[in-house]
Amino acid sequence: MSISFTRRAKASRVAMLLAPVVAFCCAIVASVILFTALGKSPGQALYSLLLEPFLSWYNFSEVLLKMAPLLLIAQGLAIGFRANVFNIGAEGQLIIGAIAASALPVWYPMGDSAWMLPAMLVMGAGAGMAWAGIAALFRTRFNANEILVTLMLSLIAAQVLNYLLLGPWKDPNGFNFPQSVMFPDAALLPILLPGTRVNVSLLLALIASVLAYVLMRHRFSGFQLLVGGLAPRAARYAGFSETRAIWMSLLLGGLAAGLAGASEVAGPLGQLQRSVSTGYGYSAIIVAYLGGLNPLGIVISAFVMSVIYIGGDNAMVSADLPVAAVWVFQGLLLCFYLAGLTFIRHKVTWIRRKVAP
Amino acid sequence: MTQTRRSFLKTSLAASTALALPIPAFAQDGVLNVALIVPSPAADVGWSHTLELGTKALEAEYGDKIKVTLLENIAEGPDGDRIMNKTVADGNTFLILGSFGYMNGGLKLAKAHPEVSILHASGYQVAPNFSPFGARYYQGTYLMGMAAASLTKSKKLGCVGAFAIPELITSINAFTLGAQSVDPSIEISVVWVNSWFDPASEQEAAKALLAQGCDVVFSNAQDTPSVVAACEEAGAYVFNLNSSMKTYAPKKYLGVVGTDWAPFFKASVAAHLAGTFAGSSAWLGMADNCVFVADWNPDIAPEMAAKIEAVHATLLDGSFSPFTGPLTNQDGAEAVAADVTLGDDAILSMDWHVKGVTTPLPK
Repeated sequence: MSISFTRRAKASRVAMLLAPVVAFCCAIVASVILFTALGKSPGQALYSLLLEPFLSWYNFSEVLLKMAPLLLIAQGLAIGFRANVFNIGAEGQLIIGAIAASALPVWYPMGDSAWMLPAMLVMGAGAGMAWAGIAALFRTRFNANEILVTLMLSLIAAQVLNYLLLGPWKDPNGFNFPQSVMFPDAALLPILLPGTRVNVSLLLALIASVLAYVLMRHRFSGFQLLVGGLAPRAARYAGFSETRAIWMSLLLGGLAAGLAGASEVAGPLGQLQRSVSTGYGYSAIIVAYLGGLNPLGIVISAFVMSVIYIGGDNAMVSADLPVAAVWVFQGLLLCFYLAGLTFIRHKVTWIRRKVAP
Repeated sequence: MTQTRRSFLKTSLAASTALALPIPAFAQDGVLNVALIVPSPAADVGWSHTLELGTKALEAEYGDKIKVTLLENIAEGPDGDRIMNKTVADGNTFLILGSFGYMNGGLKLAKAHPEVSILHASGYQVAPNFSPFGARYYQGTYLMGMAAASLTKSKKLGCVGAFAIPELITSINAFTLGAQSVDPSIEISVVWVNSWFDPASEQEAAKALLAQGCDVVFSNAQDTPSVVAACEEAGAYVFNLNSSMKTYAPKKYLGVVGTDWAPFFKASVAAHLAGTFAGSSAWLGMADNCVFVADWNPDIAPEMAAKIEAVHATLLDGSFSPFTGPLTNQDGAEAVAADVTLGDDAILSMDWHVKGVTTPLPK
């Protein structure tokens, strides 16, 4: 007996919208069983995981803080993913963006020019683009798989960060600890919501979402990009360039990730340090797919993921959950959703094999 | 702790009002809430594990008058800051921050919440309710150096180090000095992995050292038995810090430079409860019952063991410091003049290796 999956010509729209809701319910049921088995109160756990982020302004503001880089990077990545260009190395582009943005405050720790911050953001975005551009060059020139190249470049970026923090950019008064000086005020992003850590980067992420929507829906180049990636041959007949799709996908993804990196060091971090990213570059891949690669969907999925992250941290503190249980909950949610999508997009048939006589 | 519906409601209520109302130390039924935040998984061995053992001693002493929440694998930076804030919002008034990287966030928190007392590992900032703490590992590694020198055949020792920060540099220097006190010709190679927790890189680093001919290896600040296990497999002696990993190297385990945080944690919590907590730098050694050596390998000759024990006694009573001149640095220049003993400030900010360490320090 075997199971065969055949792709449906058209996925049901209702089912597509229901999938996240059903996945959410399944994840809750599974985690209630899991938390009970662990001897923790599932009520308290789910309360901290899902409700607490909404119950105080502080918690909610932290969700928005976390959402900014996720949203920004995911919008950038989705452009490429829609065109079948898989930039897996947003983490590296983020790190390089953070490094480039940090150059100014590290070299001018007493700087107070109003131009410092804008220059940092431009440098961060530019460096992210350049880093992703390497992968684009390799792909278009040597046909090197961009998944591998971007991933490897992330490892290199992490080592560049290590080198700088342990060497030339180390805080001279920091007892050899791997971190830069604290940035001057002129190098910090203004706070958007007073009394919280939410800064202007959230605004940047929302603007990026609008631009991504415009690019996808209303621009011919968005269509060219899509076709260029999905059906390179068809694109070539139509006169669209596959090369252009690859370059544009990677550059925009790198730009967004680099900008997010710059916003992190100029935002809540206030210095360049090793943990400049807690895996935003990788989480954003999940966010992009959870959002169905749709700019609007991504806004929602970035928000939901941030809630789960903040809720997960809360659950560790308040419900005594081990960190692994929180990760399992996040994993369950994704598994159920992706499984659901598979069933929506594919028709499943059971083929019973006749037993040979 | 088992959760009843009532306690759930109570914690929910407390959590939701926590930001509006500062909760005093004994908010819930006279229970002191302590949070321990560590950057790596609190496994069965290593740094985080010994901190957890320290809090277990608190639980043993205070019973149901204390509740310890362990928060493991918390990234330094914005996430760490948020989690610290959350623990205080939840009514924890005694925080133990298990990594250097929590310093800036912890300090801000301490200033905003004078009613909270914070212990912070490996840092250098002090505030009235914020105490940095650390262990004088170098006292133990000096003894390990003596033992290593008596066992090595290649006269080459190795060290896998996490980060080139003063705490680890002093450990390596003391290890070198201890070895040279037995055999001045001994040399030491160091590989930095730049991570507190990266079993794969740590193992690679250990293998690189073994390939260079090092036959005693110092696993400096790894939270995993990766280096220890690799050395056992290759037949090289190995020792580590914090907690014993003898089970991972039954034959070749040289010993452990252990740490016991229980006395310090108990004293700090008692001071916090009495309202006398005063931020100060706590750099604890053998005399404070914090650093100890144990699980010595039986291959160490009895005469050598007696010599080690004699030096151990002088470290315990404070009559001897490994960092007593004359000391020469890697470049061959005089670093400490004869009969001068380095003070704590100089040791805490040490950024040079003694002669005999062949690997240059990352600059």
